[in-house]
Amino acid sequence: MYKNPILRVCTKILFAPIILFGLYVQFHGDYGPGGGFQAGVIVASAFILYSIVFGLNEGQKLLPPKVNLVLLAFGAFLYGAVGFITMLMGEPFLSYNVLGENYQAGQHLGILIIEFGVGLTVCNVMIALFNSFSGYQPNQGS
Amino acid sequence: MNIELIINAFLVTLMLGIAMSLLRTRSVIFTVILTSAYSLIAALMFITLDAVDVAFTEAAVGAGISTILFLAAMAYLPREEEKRINSQLIPALSCIVLGAILIWCSFDLPEIGLASSPIHLHLAPDYIIGSKNDIGIPNVVTSILASYRGYDTFGEVIVIFTAGIAVLTLLQNVKKDKKKIKKKVIKNV
Repeated sequence: MYKNPILRVCTKILFAPIILFGLYVQFHGDYGPGGGFQAGVIVASAFILYSIVFGLNEGQKLLPPKVNLVLLAFGAFLYGAVGFITMLMGEPFLSYNVLGENYQAGQHLGILIIEFGVGLTVCNVMIALFNSFSGYQPNQGS
Repeated sequence: MNIELIINAFLVTLMLGIAMSLLRTRSVIFTVILTSAYSLIAALMFITLDAVDVAFTEAAVGAGISTILFLAAMAYLPREEEKRINSQLIPALSCIVLGAILIWCSFDLPEIGLASSPIHLHLAPDYIIGSKNDIGIPNVVTSILASYRGYDTFGEVIVIFTAGIAVLTLLQNVKKDKKKIKKKVIKNV
């Protein structure tokens, strides 16, 4: 945790734009460079920056560890669920074309959902790794 | 063409310089920072190859988040590496020989971006035309990653998920064990 006012104010100013940029990369991945992997890392970096400057406890108030773990699993679940929904609709695993009115609309929707799942998992794995590394205290008490 | 050559030569020189200083430094924090700089230069090289998606990933993951995770993990490492005892002659020789073989082989590679090279003739035309007509997404990389190769990406997500869960389990078990040990110690006292 840093008492330096410049760091604290800059972090508060930067937090929202970093997440906004992450969302842009996430949902603009169909049209430009980017996608779930990059967006997840960018959003995670906003939370990690907050944890570094304001301390791990404040960071965990912002995103409680339980919510973090649920979202971590939910991203991968979302991806698999899309695959099984397409199977229930009578097409092979992960054939998005049945999701929409026509072939292209289905593919658009499917790609958007699975990219969101990828972003969610990557983002929460990174935050969880950072939290567990910085909260881990070896060689104490034993 | 000439400008591209100059840019590539500049980037390769920077990379070589970073690699050399990585070999010489013994301080862990310098190693982490230099690795991050190396990733950033690699991202720039991907941009000169017009692979913006890969460059973006390299900059965000290689230079960004992995540096932060290394720094977070660094608190549990000694500040300096131990001094080497073994001779470096054999590893250096094997690196030089392998590098020479790779450079020798690279003369047989087709020119970068040549449309008639084998790699651009097999599946790539199908993907480029299919991405435009069937899927309707301008970014071919996204349509390959999410639709044509959806299984592979699912596998990648599962790998990341499993790795995250494994690290969490390893680190949290240690914490719980220590609490138990503390309780036992208190009871015994």
